[in-house]
Amino acid sequence: MSDVTRILSQIEAGNPAAAEELLPLVYDELRKLAAARLAHEKPGQTLQATALVHDAYLRLVDQPNRQAWQNSRHFFAAAAESMRRILVENARRKQRVRHGGGQRRVELSDCDLATNVSDDELLAIDEALLSFAAIDPIKAELIKLRFFVGLSVEDAAQTLGISRATANRNWTYARAWLFAELTDPAKQKNLDES
Amino acid sequence: MATSEISLDSIFSEALEIESPQQREAYLDQACRNDDKLRQQVQRLLDAHFRVGNFLGGPAVGDTMDVAPIVERPGMTVGRYKLLQQIGEGGFGVVFMAEQQAPVTRKVALKVIKPGMDTSEVIARFEAERQALALMDHPHIAAIYDGGATESGRPYFVMELVHGIPITEYCEQGELAPRERLELFQTVCQAVQHAHQKGIIHRDLKPSNILVTLHDGEPVVKVIDFGIAKATNQRLTERTLFTRFGGMVGTPLYMSPEQAELSGLDVDIRTDVYALGVLLYELLTGTTPFEKDRLQKAAFDEVRRIIREEDPPRPSVRLSTLASQSRGLKGPGKQSKPSRPNVSSDLDWIVMKAIEKDRKRRYATSREFEMDLQRYLEEKPIVARPPSMLYSLNKFARRHRVRIAVGCLVASLLVICGLWLNTIYTARTDAQFAQRVAELREKLAAGDLPGAEQAFEALGRSPHSHNPAVAAGGIQLATTLANSGQLEKSHAVIDRVRSEWTINQLKTLPDSDTKQLYSML
Repeated sequence: MSDVTRILSQIEAGNPAAAEELLPLVYDELRKLAAARLAHEKPGQTLQATALVHDAYLRLVDQPNRQAWQNSRHFFAAAAESMRRILVENARRKQRVRHGGGQRRVELSDCDLATNVSDDELLAIDEALLSFAAIDPIKAELIKLRFFVGLSVEDAAQTLGISRATANRNWTYARAWLFAELTDPAKQKNLDES
Repeated sequence: MATSEISLDSIFSEALEIESPQQREAYLDQACRNDDKLRQQVQRLLDAHFRVGNFLGGPAVGDTMDVAPIVERPGMTVGRYKLLQQIGEGGFGVVFMAEQQAPVTRKVALKVIKPGMDTSEVIARFEAERQALALMDHPHIAAIYDGGATESGRPYFVMELVHGIPITEYCEQGELAPRERLELFQTVCQAVQHAHQKGIIHRDLKPSNILVTLHDGEPVVKVIDFGIAKATNQRLTERTLFTRFGGMVGTPLYMSPEQAELSGLDVDIRTDVYALGVLLYELLTGTTPFEKDRLQKAAFDEVRRIIREEDPPRPSVRLSTLASQSRGLKGPGKQSKPSRPNVSSDLDWIVMKAIEKDRKRRYATSREFEMDLQRYLEEKPIVARPPSMLYSLNKFARRHRVRIAVGCLVASLLVICGLWLNTIYTARTDAQFAQRVAELREKLAAGDLPGAEQAFEALGRSPHSHNPAVAAGGIQLATTLANSGQLEKSHAVIDRVRSEWTINQLKTLPDSDTKQLYSML
């Protein structure tokens, strides 16, 4: 039995502390996978977060346990959080290089992901998402699954165990909330910089 | 989750279900009761929702999650239709040539709408307008036959198959003369007018929706996609136009100022008149009123501002700018496009009336628009007029409110300063004058005749030369001169007094002076 499978069944058995152990495992695996992909793929080819997470899932979770949606739910939550951290670190590092001036050696293992949003935007979204998670953790989870893992509404709904209609409604609400936060004149600087 | 968050959430979702802005307002008033703070929060989220565009429309890494490719392929069957081949693709979706099998066999165009819209909503809106769409029967309008959802859950529309090219392309390729372009355009107006009479507004008129086919060598216009813009609820805010934070996909080139408004969207037939005006502009000049490059580079809010506020140059002005640009760029004789003849000022005003920002100032119907073109073609006086001086001034004033206010302030300060300086100046000259008159009297009393003569001369050149006191001085001078035997000089002075002072002025002199004057005559 793999470590991740073991942890997943512990979480399911009602041991929330096990989730703490899950995150670093998923995080490391995703980083390794991303770095490997980037090393092998042609430049200009974009990495698919969804594919990455699915691969990590297949590698980390044993066959018979894959069907239970509770398993995948916890796994995807950890994956979303891992992807979020990887991307935020990635953006921060690039900003440091930019603002710190001078060329710093960037190691290949620091997977230099090409994101669809600028670094400033990504960090601004992450910050807003953090405040949102404090108010409404469930909807914030949906945003994380959609934005950082790239799940479709249907997949995210299934992962979270909610109906598609609810997922759609929550998505619309959460998106408006974040957009309002990001375009709030008082906090405008985040978007303007980008 | 706090309770306020729950009600905020449900009020927000409920409000979004309501299409009419007025009804939505009413709902919010009722749902938030007296809770102003809650009301404000909901409003903030609703505003954000309408501006959201394609924010978070894709994942942070990799491809857009929702854009699963359209799976329909030639050979597949959608409803009663067999897909034959793909004939077009755009921001909206994919168009297939398809074969209807029942109840009649015919070829149709089948448009599958791309993901990103709620299929059931699209179909509900389409169903709502279906009856009206069915009533449209016009040779220049492509008929809409059917609509529904594919097995993969995408909305689709079935319409008359039109093999044509966009009207702008047709005119360029055939190098049509302006008159031919206008006549072709008139048939577009007629088609749109027909739809308006049936209560259908197109909302998305643009060259790619106005196709030209050849029937026996004669160009025939077909307007396609009536009813589709409404069903798919295309707005400036929706992701049909924007990806992510600002990359534009669709085109706002033909979008009217009222469509560029984000809230309280109410569109009427004058929206189509505007789009027709933009099309005519393009047919005459080869460019749209606002340049494509510029709108593509501009940020979201800037695009809205340009559409709602900026006055585009008149077609003739645009043409001369383009001509000078192309001369500068390509040098003489290397123009790629056939040179267009000048656009007359009448045509200028017709186009400008159609694309007025304020829809009340546009042609009220496409029929009026078409009739004015007809009058132009028949060389009759047109309805469209250049804006009156007063109107232009008014608009100018509205645009430059602050500058004009500052200008007025400065101007009034200047006037006040001027008046004040004038008072000081007058006071000074008054004092000088009194002094000179006194000098004249002194010189006369002292018997200094040449000095008195000089003083009288000087007084005659002063701003107060018409003061009766000067005349009185003159009379005394003349008397003294006469008494001393210098008669010629005395007469010269008297003549001056008589010619320069009117009777009325002299009447104000003391009696002694007047008597002396008369005695001297």
